[in-house]
Amino acid sequence: MTRTTHLLLCALGALALATVASGAASETGVTSTQVLIGGTTPLSGPASAYQSVAKGAAAYFRYVDANGGVNKRKIKYVYKDDAYDPSKTADQTRELVQQDKVFAIFNSLGTEHNLATRAYLNAIKVPQLFVASGATTFGKDYKQYPWTIGYQPNYRAEGTIYGRYVAKTNGKARIGVLYQNDDYGKDLLAGLRNGLGKKAKLIVSKQGYDVDDPDVQSQVAKLKAARVNALMLFATPKFAIQSYVYAHKLGWKPAVYVNAVSSAANIMGLATAGTTKKQTEGSISIVFLKDPTDPHWAKDAGVKLYRSIMKKYKGGNPNDVYAVYGMSAAHTFVAALKKAGKNPTRAGIMKAATTLNITNDPFLLPGVSVRTGGSDHFPLDQAKLQRYHNGHWVSFGGLFRVR
Amino acid sequence: MKRGLGIAVWALAVVAVLVLYALAPQLVSDFHSRDLAQAGVFFIAIVGLNILTGYTGQISLGHGALMAVGGYTTAALCVHEHWRDVWTIPLAGIAAGVVGFLIGLPALRLSGIYLALATFAFAVAMPSLLKKFSGLTGGGQGLRLLEQAPLQVTGLSGTVTLFGHTTTQNHFLYYLTWGIGLVGFAIAWLIVRGRLGRTFRAVRDSEVAAASAGIDLARTKTLAFAISGVYAGVAGSLLAIQAEIVNPLSFTFLLSILLLVGVVVGGLGSLPGMVVGAFFVEYLPEVSTHVSSKPGVPDFVYGAAIILVMILLPTGAGGLLRRVARPLTTRLYLRP
Repeated sequence: MTRTTHLLLCALGALALATVASGAASETGVTSTQVLIGGTTPLSGPASAYQSVAKGAAAYFRYVDANGGVNKRKIKYVYKDDAYDPSKTADQTRELVQQDKVFAIFNSLGTEHNLATRAYLNAIKVPQLFVASGATTFGKDYKQYPWTIGYQPNYRAEGTIYGRYVAKTNGKARIGVLYQNDDYGKDLLAGLRNGLGKKAKLIVSKQGYDVDDPDVQSQVAKLKAARVNALMLFATPKFAIQSYVYAHKLGWKPAVYVNAVSSAANIMGLATAGTTKKQTEGSISIVFLKDPTDPHWAKDAGVKLYRSIMKKYKGGNPNDVYAVYGMSAAHTFVAALKKAGKNPTRAGIMKAATTLNITNDPFLLPGVSVRTGGSDHFPLDQAKLQRYHNGHWVSFGGLFRVR
Repeated sequence: MKRGLGIAVWALAVVAVLVLYALAPQLVSDFHSRDLAQAGVFFIAIVGLNILTGYTGQISLGHGALMAVGGYTTAALCVHEHWRDVWTIPLAGIAAGVVGFLIGLPALRLSGIYLALATFAFAVAMPSLLKKFSGLTGGGQGLRLLEQAPLQVTGLSGTVTLFGHTTTQNHFLYYLTWGIGLVGFAIAWLIVRGRLGRTFRAVRDSEVAAASAGIDLARTKTLAFAISGVYAGVAGSLLAIQAEIVNPLSFTFLLSILLLVGVVVGGLGSLPGMVVGAFFVEYLPEVSTHVSSKPGVPDFVYGAAIILVMILLPTGAGGLLRRVARPLTTRLYLRP
């Protein structure tokens, strides 16, 4: 392995020399009037609910462009459909880099999907910025992959939070886990075990599912049969909604912990519509964004700005919380681009992205900052716990750092 | 005199093909030569399928699964055994050939639509089989060559140096795929025009007549499956090398159907037609999304295009080629 890494580094070094030798003219994807960036998102397929992320981000870039852009350059953001299939992600990303000649890959969605392109992008030194996945590896393995950085609080930390919370509040719980059978689901599962610590044996059943499975009916039935009373949903929206629905059909009402990637208010709304108010009541999740459907934020300046951008720049449904996430990621990209200076280079924006300190992101909860630097390659690492009550999420407890 | 002319026409055709092979990537952008390479993968697979379906008359709806065998052989050898990706191609072909032989066994008892269903079951079961043996195949996540075996990937840095000549990875993949494709084409041509090809055609036209002429039906059918499997395996292997990732999603039963569409559009029992079939399968989805990407429209355009081709060219592109070339071929081969 060390030999592998060593050889890889040699290859990278040789490539770096070649790049230097060819002379640094203007950077790929950057002209005097435009910065071209691209990413992939599931416009179709089993995770198409996430397409609002890219649409929210695109709306924010249009808003920035309409207000003069960054250093007089407009940000052109192209996103391509990968149908949540990693082999398509690899294809589309190659097209973005080789054909469209983008400056950087921005906020491509999915854990497997970004893993499929990470080695390639790092080999050719194209920034893979603010990956839309909380997999720990995107922040942790920056030494091996210096051209990659994540964005949201990492899954392992999120799992740890749920684990600690259950261990503290219900020492006799029978925990069941539904997880996506890939790096994303396993990351959360590992975090959960970590958070439970000595109480890890409270986990009585773990059921995995594959993304291309049509449904999770049998998994939910098995979890019920194991007499689970605390259900962890480490699943993407489609499967999380199904879990609520199947549990309801079985007349089963465990306490539900639903991971942040599926706890958007619009998804919970669908889950409630498919069952009853009682089924979703009391569900627990974490939150770091302002929820635009929450009456608490109705008069908040950030949410007002969000709503006006969504309306004016055609970002789609403003009640879709995933759009807020996309907008926040776009806000961070703009900040990094500004920080990279008048003539941004790929190396320059990586440096900017790894030394961020943004405290004024209007789309994040008050007190949540986007901070990186030194060995910290996790831009967002603060969150609150929230409980679903009466059709809305209500946060409780203080803001804590998730690591 | 006529004989000399015939040889000259043949020589000219071969030279034209080789020149086209050498120059094609220069005519499109670097990135698009990767698309051409992908069309080459389909080409190899459907030339193989044509031997089975077009010449021997055995319908297979399971060729996508045979490609999976090849693709996974390559990926597993790279990831678990640290083989260099291109050296795994022959082994991938052999592995899929063996599996092709095995699924050829039911073909001895089944025929026509029943055989199609049996092979279809194989294609449908493949993704689940792949998930079952997750230690070897990586389960639902599949195997990521770039992530798990970067040093085994040829052209990781974007260029490949071969015999002191440096070319981009995309061009390399194009030349590799179509190089193998042309060799495969030549071999297929030698097979179908020779004794074995006549045996295949005899089985296709009438099993009873073939058996009474002394042809061993069992041997012939399983051999056709095995040969066709080798082609599918090589194609699957090249697909894995190009995509640098294999997962169950890349080998669903839709791939098998796509291959059959390619063979039919190209023209059953015609080898040159397979080029058209391959390009049809590779580019039609892209063209149909260009018409409109509204939900449902690409699928509609895709289906309509297939129906239209079948109405206008019931014998596929190969039939059209034959008709166009008839004046020439009759003049060449007519005895004075």
